[in-house]
Amino acid sequence: MHIVEILTWGSQKQNKEKNNLKHKREKWTTGEESIEGRTTRQTRIKDSGCGRSSGRESAKPRRRKSQKKGRVGSFLHKTSDRQHRERRVFVAAAAMDSEDYMYDSDAEETTYDDDDLYYYSDKEEENIAVGDDDDESRRNKKAKQSYIVLKESDIQQRQENDITEVSNVLSISKAAATVLLLNYNWRACDVQDEWFADEERIRKKVGLFEKPVFLLPNKLGKVELTCSICYENVRVSMMGWVSCGHPFCRECWEKYVSVAIEDGVGCLTLRCPEHRCNAVVDRDSIDLFAKKEDKERYLQYLIRSYIESNKRYKWCPGADCEYTVEFCEGGDDECYDVCCHCNNGFCWNCMDDAHRPVDCETVAKWQLKNSSEAENTAWLLVNTKPCPKCGKAIEKNQGCMHMTCRKPCGHEFCWMCLGTWKEHGERTGGFYACNTFQKNEAEGKYNEDEDIRKRAEKHLEKYTHYYERWAGNESSRKQAVKDLKQMQNDYMVRLSDLRGATDAELKFITDAWLQIIECRRVLKWTYAYGYYLPEDGDKKEKSKKGFFEYLQGEAESNLERLHHCIEKDIHNYLNKERPEEEFKNFRAKLSSLTTVTGNYFENLVKALENGLEDTSSQEACSSQEASSKIKSRTSKKGRKDYG
Amino acid sequence: MQASRARLFKEYKEVQREKTADPDIQLACDDSNIFKWTALIKGPSETPYEGGVFQLAFAVPEQYPLQPPQVRFLTKIFHPNVHFKTGEICLDILKNAWSPAWTLQSVCRAIIALMAHPEPDSPLNCDSGNLLRSGDIRGFQSMAKMYTRLAAMPKKG
Ligand SMILES: [Zn+2]
Ligand SMILES: [Zn+2]
Ligand SMILES: [Zn+2]
Ligand SMILES: [Zn+2]
Ligand SMILES: [Zn+2]
Ligand SMILES: [Zn+2]
Ligand SMILES: [Zn+2]
Repeated sequence: MHIVEILTWGSQKQNKEKNNLKHKREKWTTGEESIEGRTTRQTRIKDSGCGRSSGRESAKPRRRKSQKKGRVGSFLHKTSDRQHRERRVFVAAAAMDSEDYMYDSDAEETTYDDDDLYYYSDKEEENIAVGDDDDESRRNKKAKQSYIVLKESDIQQRQENDITEVSNVLSISKAAATVLLLNYNWRACDVQDEWFADEERIRKKVGLFEKPVFLLPNKLGKVELTCSICYENVRVSMMGWVSCGHPFCRECWEKYVSVAIEDGVGCLTLRCPEHRCNAVVDRDSIDLFAKKEDKERYLQYLIRSYIESNKRYKWCPGADCEYTVEFCEGGDDECYDVCCHCNNGFCWNCMDDAHRPVDCETVAKWQLKNSSEAENTAWLLVNTKPCPKCGKAIEKNQGCMHMTCRKPCGHEFCWMCLGTWKEHGERTGGFYACNTFQKNEAEGKYNEDEDIRKRAEKHLEKYTHYYERWAGNESSRKQAVKDLKQMQNDYMVRLSDLRGATDAELKFITDAWLQIIECRRVLKWTYAYGYYLPEDGDKKEKSKKGFFEYLQGEAESNLERLHHCIEKDIHNYLNKERPEEEFKNFRAKLSSLTTVTGNYFENLVKALENGLEDTSSQEACSSQEASSKIKSRTSKKGRKDYG
Repeated sequence: MQASRARLFKEYKEVQREKTADPDIQLACDDSNIFKWTALIKGPSETPYEGGVFQLAFAVPEQYPLQPPQVRFLTKIFHPNVHFKTGEICLDILKNAWSPAWTLQSVCRAIIALMAHPEPDSPLNCDSGNLLRSGDIRGFQSMAKMYTRLAAMPKKG
């Protein structure tokens, strides 16, 4: 008898797991928020609707940090050179060929002696020779990136350059140049155009006064003035002012600036505290008046403004990541996957996790599906029925139709016909087949609700199948990220102590792990891909699906092999003093496995991105044929291009 | 906290000293709490509020004067920028245009100015805003006058 669960309709236990995986993205609002911090009619109108809220912004200048971490493998980088790409496909296929040579059915047991390895690499070299002699660029799969990862200091440097340029051209202070750039979304040419067209108007607009409007007494020394914030009489020498000349005591300035910085990005266009005074509080004044922590936050806002005003830059959404990615448009294929130095892979276009080979729309569709309330309801509908005695929703776990309601009810009934279980048994055709139901069906008394339920069930079964695997690969990927850290902090340290291996010599281990992480990511998305592949179509579509599943299965076992090799075999070299020779062999074996797996996955990604087009014309989908298909297809290509 | 107290105390002394300086405004501090103030303001002449006396309540934040006080009408008033039910006021200087150089006294002055010059484009009271925006000045004025008479003038008898 199987466990039966009571579910209240709200509890949705099963979906908790789903919700955890629900993409945690919240769009972090970008440059749209006006940096015109002060009063405008626009903001007033907005405010009035919601009453008193003054739209205080999160005090923390850093943007939201998501939990996501991951990596996009080096091969995901855009190659603008088509030929180059084709060649890579060809070589990858060649690698698959040779792999077939090496690892056949009992791949796990295969021992890799030198001959194998030499044979393998010989074969690869041959193919390279056929393809092109420039194997350096092939090996360096990074090829031509469509993006650059920038450190915060890089961005700061660029920002500083822009500021210096404007400051030089307009002969104004850097602080004033910063004010101008802030007002023109960091477009230096706009600043220059506007400035030279009408300097006076621009000065007024941005609040850079040429002459003070408040004239301080000539002899500053011991003169006291009333600070109109604290109402204390303060010596002028203890006061401060911006270009307008309105004096306030230093203490009040510090607080005034601090509150503004606390309030958010509006501090970048902070104005003089005087009534309706438009004079801007520039960077130099902040430097003069603000506390150290406030100054740091101010600079953060300044950088943030610079990045957010520029469409070429995006902040890496990785948790606590400091890097910025610059994307350079103009490649011929649309690949938005970006890999940050923090190993977080994300899609430049939709800012979700990197998702090749699936496109942004599919990702959005899939994520929506995973989070949709409707799906949950359908799940409940399919997996629960009310107990015929007490009416509580009962979840069917699996297996047979014999349901037992939770205590205190304890009613036993048949899931199929909702009849009392006591009446089931030999008479109804055995416990596993309720022929009450079958009879009804045969007699056409078949319940329509049951039909709907059935269909919903089928749909859900399919969804669950793909979802579980998608989520499973995601958690494996996360685990692999953790494992990599352990590998680096523990195993690699031990290896270098034990064997005196240099970091460069141990890099193959990191490479293998990064490859595993990347493969998990790709594999994960192939399940979203598979979910949307047409199912009940014509023969062509069926064969496509079959081929897809074959490729996916192969990918899985490739990855498994690599994973196994690094996870298990590495222990042999951690403790005992194995001969150096063996360690070298291990390195060679793992490196080549990494390459082979990487190539396979790269090939897979391309095949899926092409919509498995080449296969659709062909029919059968048995693994043998499919396998030869992908080989012949790619080698045909190879011949066409290089023969 | 200390700074806001000191500043409010100065404002309090100023108010005491110049009680007669502005006959349209009577500011008073709560006996037990320097962060609670009330004000009586006279409806500006040549407006539907003329002749009325309106009470305002101030709640002063600890960050004052770096942050603005919260002010609302205690007396019912029909005005496009005042919430009819709560008395909440929509005025830029009480929100993002606040300057620490403002005082409670000057806030009162700004509110009187707002009574004389409504801003129908940012209404908190949609009815009166609509009347004004649709150009029905007379309709608006008669409503505003009626409420002034009902709520802001001493009852006859
Ligand atoms: Zn059972
Ligand atoms: Zn001061
Ligand atoms: Zn000023
Ligand atoms: Zn990053
Ligand atoms: Zn995307
Ligand atoms: Zn029951
Ligand atoms: Zn039954």
